[in-house]
Amino acid sequence: MPSSPPAGGPGYYGLPLLKEPVWGWEIAWYFLLEGISAGAFILGAMARLTGDERDAETIAAADYIALAALIPCPPLLVADLGRPERFHHMLRVFKPSSPMNTGAWALSAYSVPVGLLALKQWAAPTAESSSMARATRLLPVTPLALVGLPAALTMLSYPGVLLSTTSTPVWSRTRMLGALLACSSMSAAAAVVSFVLAAGGRRGGRGLRRMHRIEQLAAGAETAALAAYLVSAGDAAEPVTTGKYARVFWGGAVAIGLAGGTIARALASRRHGPRRAATMAGAVCTVAGGLALKWALVHAGPISARNPVAGHDAARATEPGAGWAPSA
Amino acid sequence: MIDQLGKLADVWKLPEPPAAQEEMGFFTDTTVCIGCKACEVACKQWNQLPSDGFKWTGHSYDNTSALSGTTWRHVAFVEQMDRDAGAPPRWLMMSDVCKHCVEAPCQEACPTGSLIYNEFGNVYVQEEVCNGCGYCVAACPFGVIGRDKEDGRAHKCTLCYDRQKDGMTPACAKACPTESIQFGPISQLRETARARVEQLHGRGETDAYLYGAEPTTEYSALNAFFLLKDAPGVYNLPEAPQRPGAHLRTNYLLSFGASIALTVASALIFRKGR
Repeated sequence: MPSSPPAGGPGYYGLPLLKEPVWGWEIAWYFLLEGISAGAFILGAMARLTGDERDAETIAAADYIALAALIPCPPLLVADLGRPERFHHMLRVFKPSSPMNTGAWALSAYSVPVGLLALKQWAAPTAESSSMARATRLLPVTPLALVGLPAALTMLSYPGVLLSTTSTPVWSRTRMLGALLACSSMSAAAAVVSFVLAAGGRRGGRGLRRMHRIEQLAAGAETAALAAYLVSAGDAAEPVTTGKYARVFWGGAVAIGLAGGTIARALASRRHGPRRAATMAGAVCTVAGGLALKWALVHAGPISARNPVAGHDAARATEPGAGWAPSA
Repeated sequence: MIDQLGKLADVWKLPEPPAAQEEMGFFTDTTVCIGCKACEVACKQWNQLPSDGFKWTGHSYDNTSALSGTTWRHVAFVEQMDRDAGAPPRWLMMSDVCKHCVEAPCQEACPTGSLIYNEFGNVYVQEEVCNGCGYCVAACPFGVIGRDKEDGRAHKCTLCYDRQKDGMTPACAKACPTESIQFGPISQLRETARARVEQLHGRGETDAYLYGAEPTTEYSALNAFFLLKDAPGVYNLPEAPQRPGAHLRTNYLLSFGASIALTVASALIFRKGR
């Protein structure tokens, strides 16, 4: 007959069941930047595919943002390793069971079309006769965008799946984390593209109007995914919703990111095209909220793993035969 | 000359993996553990693991607390002084170790292929490959594997792979004075363990049961399994560990679903604006 746990704390002297994940601020920033990059790439690809000449500014902004946000990503990932000089060991196998391996391959494959599209964009305004313009004219734009699309979709989709494929309760007790981070990344990417269009483009441009709608849609999806995450994770989400990271989560991700961004975009809405200042303010809110969300989620991991109650609760037998506890 | 060129090409050839041997493992019978910690010491010595410092936990004779990158055997001391009426106070001691899961979450998570199953069916970290990404640390549902701050790599019990290759018993099992730690072919260990549970039940010790000898509906069997006398949580073991990779497909489907839906929606918005 199993007796109650010994005094001095739940389980074994209140000691944690799980080991704390070792990932820190580098990974929070990486998830934000790689998400902005992949989202911008996808938006650029879609604008090429179904847009028209009025989306040229959007496409140019997307191409540059995709590259600019991608550049800090590899150093952030390398810095997070225990043995940074062995970063390339990530690519010595192809292993779909490991989302980190999938992500490493996706990042490598993705960087080629991103670099080429940005290069072509950069060379375009130079004189027709310049060797750079001639060289890049041969680059097939739409095929490049389409070839990069699967890798970009993987970049958008894998971070939450990576976190969920662990034993850390706050990440693994839900099926919604992948969708949440994907929606947040798309939302932040649309915000950055809108910001650049509003900052540099002509007033009331058609491109900005379309981006404004995409921003609204992505923010709506992010809100729905966040609600689904909180409901599905239940008590396991406590390290995000309460304690040290509650302010970052409720204040940063929810109040500034989702509420602030939505209000600013509503203020920006106008029949003749979005107001530029309000669009830029909304974009800043959305990106700050995206960072806050990823910051809180990444940093909640160690808190969650450190909690013996959460650790044991995540490993309770829900039906007979699911565990090794003696049948009392 | 041709011979020399041939040698250059050798670098690119993958060596044949060693031929599979009989699956080996540990059976740890906690009913005969006396808490001497000879296993901890033998493990540290043989594997040349650094000291964890001289610290008292203050809660029991367990001053090690947990397995880590530098502690691959850990003896838990469960002091039950105020048990239910009629039950005398008791000490439960248990030498904990890497479970060497048949389907190991650390091995599935490892992005470099550093974590492998060796020819003895044991989960093994190839230290010359590990780049210290830390994925295995978060993946393990038992909190076993740890990343060492000193050298940046993940470490855990190797089931004395080096000793096994020379036909020797792992250091902890060799040092155990009561045969609480038994090493041998898994099939044989399972029989021994079942017989031991029956023997204990026959003596009225009806709370004895095996932890990890068989797979559950959620998790594989463990090649290092245990005979316990109380609920798993009492020894800081998970009652029903989950395999993190079990939901990989669902997670990817929902995640890619969201990404593709937003991609298609943005394509439609670009089109509508024409």
